[in-house]
Amino acid sequence: MLVGAMALIISTSLHAQEIKLGSKTLQVHGFGTEGFVHTDDNNWLTMNTSNVGSGEFTDFGANTSMQITTHFRAGAQFYDRNVGKLGRWHPELDWALADYKLKPWLGLRGGKVKTVLGLYNDTQDVDSAHTFALMPQSVYSIDMRDATLSHIGGDVYGTIKTPKLGKFSYTGYVGDQSQSIQGGYPYLLQIHGITIDKSGGLTYGGDLRWQTPIKGLLAGVSYEGNHVRNTGTLNPSIALGGPNEVIPYWEQSRSQFAKTIYGDYTYKNLRIDSEYKYFWRDFTIFNGGFQALTGTHGWYQSAAYRVNRWFEFGGYYSHFDLGWIVTAPGQFDAASVSDPSRHLYDKVITARFDLKQHWYAKVEGHFMDGNAAGNNPQYPNGFYTQVNPQGIKPNTNALVVRTGFSF
Amino acid sequence: MKKLLYALLLVASASIFVVQAKAQVIVIANPSVKTSEVSKNDLKEVFTGGSTALPGGGNVVPILLKAGTVHEEFLQAYIGKNDTAYRAGWRSLVFSGQASMPKSLDGDAAVVEFVAHNAGAVGYIGKTSPHEGVKVLAVK
Repeated sequence: MLVGAMALIISTSLHAQEIKLGSKTLQVHGFGTEGFVHTDDNNWLTMNTSNVGSGEFTDFGANTSMQITTHFRAGAQFYDRNVGKLGRWHPELDWALADYKLKPWLGLRGGKVKTVLGLYNDTQDVDSAHTFALMPQSVYSIDMRDATLSHIGGDVYGTIKTPKLGKFSYTGYVGDQSQSIQGGYPYLLQIHGITIDKSGGLTYGGDLRWQTPIKGLLAGVSYEGNHVRNTGTLNPSIALGGPNEVIPYWEQSRSQFAKTIYGDYTYKNLRIDSEYKYFWRDFTIFNGGFQALTGTHGWYQSAAYRVNRWFEFGGYYSHFDLGWIVTAPGQFDAASVSDPSRHLYDKVITARFDLKQHWYAKVEGHFMDGNAAGNNPQYPNGFYTQVNPQGIKPNTNALVVRTGFSF
Repeated sequence: MKKLLYALLLVASASIFVVQAKAQVIVIANPSVKTSEVSKNDLKEVFTGGSTALPGGGNVVPILLKAGTVHEEFLQAYIGKNDTAYRAGWRSLVFSGQASMPKSLDGDAAVVEFVAHNAGAVGYIGKTSPHEGVKVLAVK
């Protein structure tokens, strides 16, 4: 939190930098946020939020980029976060790419590239660009952020304008999805005696979005497929009743994909978003001994209205439910979706204050029905037994305050 | 906690008001830009990062004013957003690696100077500001 506060103080005197390199210009930009979360019951998002609250909610990033020729651009960004037990101050190369745009309808991008999936997957860390302090967790869960965030590979993209049907933008990609091991899923697996030290695999997919002839209305679909393999170590005594020893561990997907469909409507200062995401994973777990199948449905409906340059308010309803089948011993079948362990319905209101051109603050209330934590969790969604050893209660209210800067 | 949140929203709403000023804006371009007119929609595409070319005009580079009445009026008239919302859009592009931030300059004279000397540059200034060395684009 101290680091975040210092960054915010420094930010008041920071501006985007441009460095001349011959006839070219190198741009330097950065951002950072500091948050505080208080909840009434459960500890949330791996933080100890339920007593006084937690300020372990910090992130920052910086990038450089250069337009080398009219068509060719290159750049890189690093990113670091510490959100409770997530991130843990392990800096990562967020993206590093070369981008060659041959024509409006054909561009190529290569390197480590943010994955286009739905409306905001590639911009979910850019807090300054969003109304809400926390994006709808049903679709943009900060626990599972790493699972779809970026890939090392190549994209082909472009935009095609039509005289009467509006504008179509497409992105297709293939690459290796090298995931952070500081995310919610590796943290969740620790309760089963599993430590993940490497995660990744083939990923491929695409996005098609349509800027319709109706002014301000956009619609789109995305798909991402993955072949993921996680490796690390396992203590079989914890989850399987085996010997108390540490052995090599692996698990891998038999099938994993995400599908989204989304719409966005902007009229003057009003913005309305809606998005649905289905995620499916069929995993071979415990060194091939068992199988875990998980399916999640997430959708949200949000609206935000900017009153003037200083103030914006908004709200959303975020709906998430999951089901699972796990063949490992000691696992429970999924209860009815009406059970709090299988759903998380979050009603949110937010006020955003743009204090200066580069500095803003947000105040947000969450009113959550359910915890979607599962009976014996296999899928992370904000609530963890590690930080809720007394058990996870059905409902949670939360106050989130977040301030940030960008330059 | 609900009461606290509602109170914060109420206080914020009540304490904020809008001051609008009026000015007149012209869109200028480097003489290398091949067209003399541009549609409002194409101009918006260029200034929001949706396109790097103007139909019939070749590749272009948008140039912004940092702040001020002319800047605000340009955004309202041609982009349909205020400065905060407009820059939020660019931040999404810049911090996700999809674009570089347009150059922002301090005043009309600086914009004219830059546009006049950089091929493909397109900017905007107050209607009464001197603008030698650049061409004025008619916005349809």
